[in-house]
This record gives sequence, C-alpha cells and structure tokens, in this order.
Amino acid sequence: MLTRTLRLTAIAHLFCQGYANKATLTSTIYLNPSRSRDPAISTTPTTLTMRQQHALDSALRVDQAGEIAANWIYKGQFFVLGRDPTVGPLIQEMWDQEKKHLAVMDKLQVQHHIRPTILSGIAKIAGFGLGATTAIMGKEAAMACTEAVETVIGEHYDDQLKEMECLPQEHPSVPLLKSIVKEFRDDELEHLDIAVTHHSQRAPAHALLSSVVGVGCKVAIELCKRF
Amino acid sequence: MMLSSVRLLQLALPLVKNHGFTRDALARSVMALPLSEAHTEPLSETSVSALFGSGDSSRRNLIKAWLDDGIRYMDTMPPGSSVNEVLRARLEYNEPVLQFLPEAFALLASPQSGLPPLDLRPALQHASTIADKACRITGDKSLQLAWYTRRMSLATIYSVSELHQLTSPDTAYTFLETLLHSSVSFKSSLNEVDLFSSYIVKSWRGIINSYGIL
Repeated sequence: MLTRTLRLTAIAHLFCQGYANKATLTSTIYLNPSRSRDPAISTTPTTLTMRQQHALDSALRVDQAGEIAANWIYKGQFFVLGRDPTVGPLIQEMWDQEKKHLAVMDKLQVQHHIRPTILSGIAKIAGFGLGATTAIMGKEAAMACTEAVETVIGEHYDDQLKEMECLPQEHPSVPLLKSIVKEFRDDELEHLDIAVTHHSQRAPAHALLSSVVGVGCKVAIELCKRF
Repeated sequence: MMLSSVRLLQLALPLVKNHGFTRDALARSVMALPLSEAHTEPLSETSVSALFGSGDSSRRNLIKAWLDDGIRYMDTMPPGSSVNEVLRARLEYNEPVLQFLPEAFALLASPQSGLPPLDLRPALQHASTIADKACRITGDKSLQLAWYTRRMSLATIYSVSELHQLTSPDTAYTFLETLLHSSVSFKSSLNEVDLFSSYIVKSWRGIINSYGIL
C-alpha cells in the first residue's frame, strides 16, 4: 500500500505541474450552457456492441457513485473539521472540486442514458460516516482516509482509461469522455498529494486504516458496477 | 435464431392483426417476402418449429418481436414530445391487435418450466422498457434515486392504462391523462412536504445553535 501510494504521489506531483499550466479544463464544456447542443456532450454512440455498452454503463455508473461517495466523505470531514484553520479550507477546496466532478458525472449519466446505481443512498451514508469518523480520529486520520480513497480512485480511473480504448473513437463524445476521466484522475491524484503533504502517514495505525478504507472502496466499486 | 428467421419474424408482424400471435401468422410470413422470393404456400409446421421454436416458444418469439417493434415505434415520436403523447402513441400501437393481447400477455406470464405458477418478470420488463424509452424520448434528466422513482411511476401508469385499454379501449387515453395528471399533483405535494421539512430542520438547527450546543 505504502509503495503504491508513493508511486502515485510521484505521479501526482508530475500531473499537478501540468495541471497548473492548463488554461482551460475539458470538463468546463459540460458546465457551459452555451455548449449544451454540442454533439460531443449531447449525443451518445449508437453503434456500440453489447460488450462496449456494458463497459460504458458500468464505468459511468461506478464513476458517478464514486463522486457521490467522495462528496459525502468530504462533507463528513468538513462537518467535524470545518472550523480548523489548517485543514478546514483544504477540505473545502477538495470538496468543491468533487462537487464539480459530480455535476459533470450527472450530465454524462443523462447524455449516455446510464442507469445510476441504486446504492446511492448507502454511498451517501457510508461516505459521510467514513469522513466524519476519520475526522473525529484526528486531522492526520482524515488525511489518511483521503489518501487511501484517492489512491484507489486514481488507480480505478487509470484502469478505466485503458478499458475505454475499446469504445469507438470516431464518435466525438468518446475522446471527450477519455479526456474528462484523465482530468478527474489528475484531480484525485492532486488530492492524494495534498493528503500526503498534510501528514496523512502520521495517522495512528496508518497501514491498517489505509488497508481497511482501500478494501472498502474496492468492494464499493464492484458493487456499484453491478447495482 | 438465424438471420432469416429474424427477417421472417419482421414480416409476420403485420399479419398479427388478422391471424393473432399464432404459428399460422409465422407460417404465412414467407408469403409476404418480395415477389422474387415469395412462397405461394405457408411454411409447414416442421419448418415453423425449426425456424422459430417448437410449440408456444414460437409464439413467445413472435410476441417479443412485436413488443420490440412497439419500442421502435415509440422512436418515431418527434423530439420534445410530452410523456402523455409518447405513452398515448404506445397505446395506439396496441389498437390493431387489441383482441389478441390478453392471450398474448397470459402466455408471457405462463412459466415455461411449470414453476412458479405465474411469472411476472416479462410484464415488469415490458412496462419498465416502455417507461425507460418514454423517459429517453422526453429528455428526462432524473438523477440517482429519482431516476428509479420516475421510471417506476411511469411503468405503473402505463401498465394500469394498458390493462384499462384491454377492457375499455375508448376511455384508455382519458384514463392515461388522468393518471399522469394525478402523479404530477402527487409529486408536487411531496416536494412541498420536503420543503416544509427542510424549514423545520433549519429552524431546529437554529434553536440548537442559539443554545450554544453546536
């Protein structure tokens, strides 16, 4: 777990440098009402095979569920640590970014006619519970939770980019979707970087906490792919 | 099924209004082929079984093809159509074969292996597919659990209207409209309850804050 985190943190540093230089982000196209009729954001490929459709369905369903859970994790952390002058603004900043991710995922769900997960209510409760509990354990534990979650999510987005190679690249929505997944992966890795910088690895029982949260995230991903 | 049987199934669909969901309609499908390929005699029982399945399996395949065609028929609705217009169009699609539908639905609900005595899955799938299609055509933007509640409510409304249509075809459209109107009123009432509840929660939070508890 530690080696993987260090590797992802190094990647995160590289991404963050590139990220800071980006003039505009791909996802802003979804939040710009004047672009709402653009075929890349208003149409879905109609020639998908059953396998491709299944891949797209499960990918977007789990991504949306992940963003819902992430929002509620930060909500839980902010509920406890919101007034802390050091980590309060940091949590707020990461939460704002997750809110934007969820807004884009909601648009992608409608665009590609994806059935959302039926477990969204559970994701909210579990996310809030996880965020609040780790925040009660202390700032470092809250950051360790962020580190563990973002490690799994960063890897998940990375795997998904490879899976999306099977989709027809000629439809304008597909390259845009890949670009958005890349952007979100970079954002999640940036959060991971922030968590490590703010002493996540000083949390009590860091290895155990990271493993439990990491396994929980992986189970949640598999469940949301199916339900 | 082979490609040829898929093509013959499509040709059998217009025959349903005269011959019902029967093996006879399937047998006559070859007579509807283009002139150069058309048969002068219907297919034999053996050929129908070989192409579409034996016994009631062939009839089930014909009913499923007809239901799939109904979904494609909904696609002909212009963009921006209302839910009422889309569901009404789907009910209109039933009209030419209305007399055969009770038996067709009964056949779909009969289990192939004997148990359970009544298989409701095809009926649920039929209603949910229509509700989902109606949502897509009307540009529904429901998210999370609202996505499910919207489809469940439309599936229920459509199912009830379709049952009504089987017994009283003339009043089915008015009945559909009434149900849709009631569901809108019900949703609006729920929203008001939700808003009122949020005010209560906010006021309690304010009271707790004023005591310095939080």
